[in-house]
Amino acid sequence: MTPEPTNFLYPFIDSEERDSTALLVDLAESARGKMAQSRELQLSTLSRCADVVETLATEMAARFARGGRLYTFGNGGSATDAEMTAEMFRHPISGRPLPAWPLVEDRAVLTALANDVGFELVFSRQLIAHARPDDIAMGLSTSGNSNNVMHAFAEAKHRGLLTIGLAGYNGGAMADNDKVDYCLVVRSDSVHRIQEAQDALVFELWSVIQRHLATPPLTDHRSMEGSSL
Amino acid sequence: MVSNPLVSEQRELAIDFAALEPVSDNLATAALSLARRFAAGATMWCVSPSWPAHGRHVAVEFVHPVIMGKRALPAVFVDDDDLLGALRVMVRPGDLVVALGNSKDGKIASLLRRAEAWGLTSVWIGAGVHPPASAADHLLWVDGVDPDVAGTSGGYVLLYHLLWELVHVVFEHPGLLVEPPACTDEVCITCSDEGRLVEVIEAGEDNTALVLAEGHRERVDTTLVGVPVPGDLLLVHAGTAITALEEGGW
Repeated sequence: MTPEPTNFLYPFIDSEERDSTALLVDLAESARGKMAQSRELQLSTLSRCADVVETLATEMAARFARGGRLYTFGNGGSATDAEMTAEMFRHPISGRPLPAWPLVEDRAVLTALANDVGFELVFSRQLIAHARPDDIAMGLSTSGNSNNVMHAFAEAKHRGLLTIGLAGYNGGAMADNDKVDYCLVVRSDSVHRIQEAQDALVFELWSVIQRHLATPPLTDHRSMEGSSL
Repeated sequence: MVSNPLVSEQRELAIDFAALEPVSDNLATAALSLARRFAAGATMWCVSPSWPAHGRHVAVEFVHPVIMGKRALPAVFVDDDDLLGALRVMVRPGDLVVALGNSKDGKIASLLRRAEAWGLTSVWIGAGVHPPASAADHLLWVDGVDPDVAGTSGGYVLLYHLLWELVHVVFEHPGLLVEPPACTDEVCITCSDEGRLVEVIEAGEDNTALVLAEGHRERVDTTLVGVPVPGDLLLVHAGTAITALEEGGW
C-alpha cells in the first residue's frame, strides 16, 4: 500500500483521485497480505515457544489444582486482551472453568489507585490486596516495558506468585528479568501482529492447561489431593 | 518433559485462516465507507453485548492509534443493558455503528435493523452461522468458524485491526474521501419505487405517525398499517407506511 514513489511530485493526482476501484483492489490485497503475515507470525511464535508453553502450562495447572487464581493485566488493547484471557479461563468454550480475573475491570479501583498513588501502581496495589502464593500473575505489553506491568511483576514475585510476561519486539524490560518467571516474546515490531500472536499463544496455553487438568499425570496425584477442582 | 505432539511444521492454528481470507473484499469496502463517514464528521459507536472486551478494543484502536501520527478518530464503546434506548438518544445521522457478535445476538440484530431509520452506516463483525446479507451495510463474517473460537483465539482481533489499518490507508487518498453523490440519474432511493425503513417516534390521532427516516423526523400516513407504537419499524413508500415490520424479524 505504499504510494508510488513519484507521487510527491504530483500531489494533485491524489487529491483529484475519484475512482475508488483501484484502491479497493489494493485494500483487499493488503488485507490478504497482512493476514498471511499474521498467520506466519502466529505459527512461528507457537513453534518457538512450544516447549516453554508446555512447561508453563504444567506449572499453571498445578497452581490451579492447589486453588490458585490467575490475575491478568495490561494497558489499552492489552487491557482488553487481559480481559479476554480472564474470560477464556473463567468461561471456557470447553473444559474446566478456572478462577481468573483482569485487574483492569473495576473503574472505581483503577481510578482511585491512579489518582491517589499513581498509574504505575494500579496493578501492583491490587495484587497486594488479593494475591496469595499459589496465584499466577500474567502481564501483557507489546513493548514489554509498561511501567505498571513491571511494578506488578515485582510485587507478584515478592509474594511468591508465578509471573508470566507476554511481550513483543525483543521482549523489552520483561526479557531476562528475574521478576518474570516466563517471558513469551512475539518477535515482531507491529503492535497489531504482536497482539494477534499473543492471543494465539494464550489460547494455546489455555488449551494445554485444559489438557493437563483433564488428564493429571500420575506423579501429580498428591498435589491434586484436597483440591476443590 | 513430554514432547508436544502439536509441534510440527504443519501445526494448525485454532483459527482457520482459509476462512478469514474471503473477508478481505468486504474489509476493503467497509474501510472505504468508514473513512468517508469519518471524514464527514461521523462518530463510530461500538457495541458487543457478548464480548465487551472486544467492543472496548475496537474503540481504543480508533481513539488512540498504535502508530504515532495517525489521526485519533471518535469511537465510543457503549455498554448498556438498554442498547437501543442509549444509542437512540446519542447517535446523529451519518454516524457509524460497529457491532461484534454472532448472528443469534438479538440485541445486535435489533439495533442494526434500525440503522437505516437512524441514518447510520453499519458494520457487523462475526463468525459462524451467517446473518442475512441485508443485516448490515458491511458484514465482516468468518463463515464456518465457531464464533467462540474466533472470539478467543485472535480471529476477531485480526479483523478489527485490519479494519483500522485499512481506514487509515484510505485517509492517504483525500480525493476518495468525498462520498459520491447519492442521487444520480440512474439510481435514487428517494425518487425511486424503493421503500424506506423508518422507526416510529409517536403515533398521531389522524392516522399519521412521527417517524425517524434516515435520522430525520418526518410525518407519514399510517392508514394502511393501523396505529403503531414507538419503536415500531415501518416500510414507507411515498409518505405512506405500507407494511409494519414484525419486531424480531429482519
